[in-house]
Amino acid sequence: MIGTFFALVAKELIGFFRSWGLVAIVLYSFTLDIYITGAGIEMQAKNIAVGYVDETGGGMSRKILSRLHMPEFQKPVMFTSQEALSQSIYNREIMVGLIFESDFEKSLKKYGRSSIDLLLDSIAATQSFQALQYLQNILLDYADIGIPVELKIHKLFNPNATTSQFMAMAEMLSVITLLGVILTAAVFVREKENGTWDIMLLMPIDPKLIILAKSFSQVLIIMGGVVIATGIVLFGIFDVPINGSISAFFLLSFFYAFTSAGIGLFVAAVSKSMLQVAQISILIMMPLIFLSGAWTPIHAMHPLLQELSLISPLRYYIEGSESIFFRGTDVADLWSYFAGVIILGSVLYFYGFRKIGRLF
Amino acid sequence: MNPGVIKAYILKEFKELVRSRLILIVYILPTMIIILFGYGIRMEVTDARTLIIDNDNSRISRDLSARFDHSKYFDTRVTSGMSEQKALKRIKQARVDILIIIPNGFEKRLLHGEKTEIGVFIDGAFPVRATTMQNYVKGVIYNAAQSLMRKKPENLITINSRNLFNQAMRDEDAIVPGLIGLILLVAPAILSALLIVKEKEEGTIFNFYSSPIKKSEFIVAKLVPPLILHSLNIFILFLWATWLFEVPFRGSFLLYWGAAQIYILISLGVGLLVSIITRTQIVAIVLTIIITIIPGFLYSGMLMPISSMSGESKIEAHIYPVMYFNHIIYDTFLIGQGLDSPKNQLYLAILVFYALFLILLGSWLMKKEIA
Repeated sequence: MIGTFFALVAKELIGFFRSWGLVAIVLYSFTLDIYITGAGIEMQAKNIAVGYVDETGGGMSRKILSRLHMPEFQKPVMFTSQEALSQSIYNREIMVGLIFESDFEKSLKKYGRSSIDLLLDSIAATQSFQALQYLQNILLDYADIGIPVELKIHKLFNPNATTSQFMAMAEMLSVITLLGVILTAAVFVREKENGTWDIMLLMPIDPKLIILAKSFSQVLIIMGGVVIATGIVLFGIFDVPINGSISAFFLLSFFYAFTSAGIGLFVAAVSKSMLQVAQISILIMMPLIFLSGAWTPIHAMHPLLQELSLISPLRYYIEGSESIFFRGTDVADLWSYFAGVIILGSVLYFYGFRKIGRLF
Repeated sequence: MNPGVIKAYILKEFKELVRSRLILIVYILPTMIIILFGYGIRMEVTDARTLIIDNDNSRISRDLSARFDHSKYFDTRVTSGMSEQKALKRIKQARVDILIIIPNGFEKRLLHGEKTEIGVFIDGAFPVRATTMQNYVKGVIYNAAQSLMRKKPENLITINSRNLFNQAMRDEDAIVPGLIGLILLVAPAILSALLIVKEKEEGTIFNFYSSPIKKSEFIVAKLVPPLILHSLNIFILFLWATWLFEVPFRGSFLLYWGAAQIYILISLGVGLLVSIITRTQIVAIVLTIIITIIPGFLYSGMLMPISSMSGESKIEAHIYPVMYFNHIIYDTFLIGQGLDSPKNQLYLAILVFYALFLILLGSWLMKKEIA
């Protein structure tokens, strides 16, 4: 029994390593793909292109402009007229345009207050908003109004607010979901397509064992990928902190890999060709990923979506992983994430198991 | 090229698409993506769960708490006497986003003109949110402090901000047009790659190898069905954007339509190239997704404006066609310069060049024999 099980697992693993295309894709997804996402996607406003028109003839305006510097702002570009500046904004070469009117300095000296006109390309809403806040803080700082309150702000867990660490982690979790479902579905459907399924049916082996072994082999492949991705990309390249217990993370990943294998079983049961596998998995996974809180925290979602997100196993996995890597939550406090993944996972796996079992 | 042969082949493709129910995915998937992403991506922070520990419980500290309470950005709870340790643990358990601690004797020190400090702890696990929340908190506290000040400030400069293109800074306006670009890049590419690779995997490609049909006829027959089917999506997606997400449309519809058609051709070219180097459908799908989605996101301007890029990423952005199309699409939706702008003319020309280049390259590389 155990021997047959491991023979089947070995068969699947050998089959996997022989299809070099698949191996290459799995390796790519767990390394380069995560790297590109982490390194490339930056949502914080940085390196903002600034242009200005200065009708005052220097002095005060220079001092203010000299406060706009890296990493938030590029070196401000001078424009001779407001038209030229606004044209540049319309062509999206400049994001922030500052206009110092001719009476700017006079009014500041005379009345102690003045104003700057600001043209803001607000298409990228988050970044525009952050740019506006940066500017406001710079001017407040310049005014030096001597606020007697000192703000001690601590950004916990990720003090420099680097997006790359978070993005890399979120991308890895999406890759696990994607490959977990597709690989598992593929090992069954490929046999259907190649006609070797009939041979499986003829074999004197308990079909339950076949299903278990086949899905277990794919879970192993995924776990291999997780180890590679965490070790090389997350820790090696992005220096993601690990404030909690790493073994808790691997355990959670293991359960989650089974959950996605369960979805894969269901997909395999209802599809006849690889083409359908791709379609159905995309249809199932997209909502799963978007209800998970990877892009938007759950409590900021529409109330209906919040309820729906309770049945997304990825939600518990992402929150759990976030807590382990960044928040450093105690293992005892992780029980809700484990419970979520395990309960939803067993339901999904059992359902997929039954569904594909009927084909025997 | 023989139009009769092409027509027959196209007919066969359509029948297969309908029979394999692939046609459903052609229309369900784009709509699903735009709805899920459109509703799913919220960068704006509202209702940040804020815990204020007010150890002073004075008039000023209560006034400060009330300011947080009245803001839509915070979902505030005020307590006193909770220990810092316990409150920090709440952040660790992801039950609180912001923790503000007002110290004992806060009002007294302020009234005596002494310095005092407020401790703020922010959950930084989600970096953009953390920065935004930090700025909100600063804003509220500075504003409160200003209104308390008796001395008139000397160098106060205010900003008259005019938000162009997206006045209310809505996330929908920022994201949905970019999503249309993403979908029109990914979906046609997958479909065209599949239509060819399916024949390779099932062996029916040998009909093509051995029949007198020409390579050019085969390619036209394979690319026309996805082109026609996805052209309808240009309009469907437009409707979702303007009707469901209420994104304004300020530019020329003709430019939107024309550019989108060209963009679909580019996507088909990508699919064609993928189908040449892959042999199985699963590899074709994953490869198409990999080479389209990531550049489609990175260089779309959705998450990061092209003008903020530097170095390598700026060069890469100029190599992929994504940036050019997205410039035009954001222009048609939000800016509205249309074809009067030389930049749009140039970018449109670049897109035409890409479409021709990719499809010609694909046709040249495709072989009518066993590879």
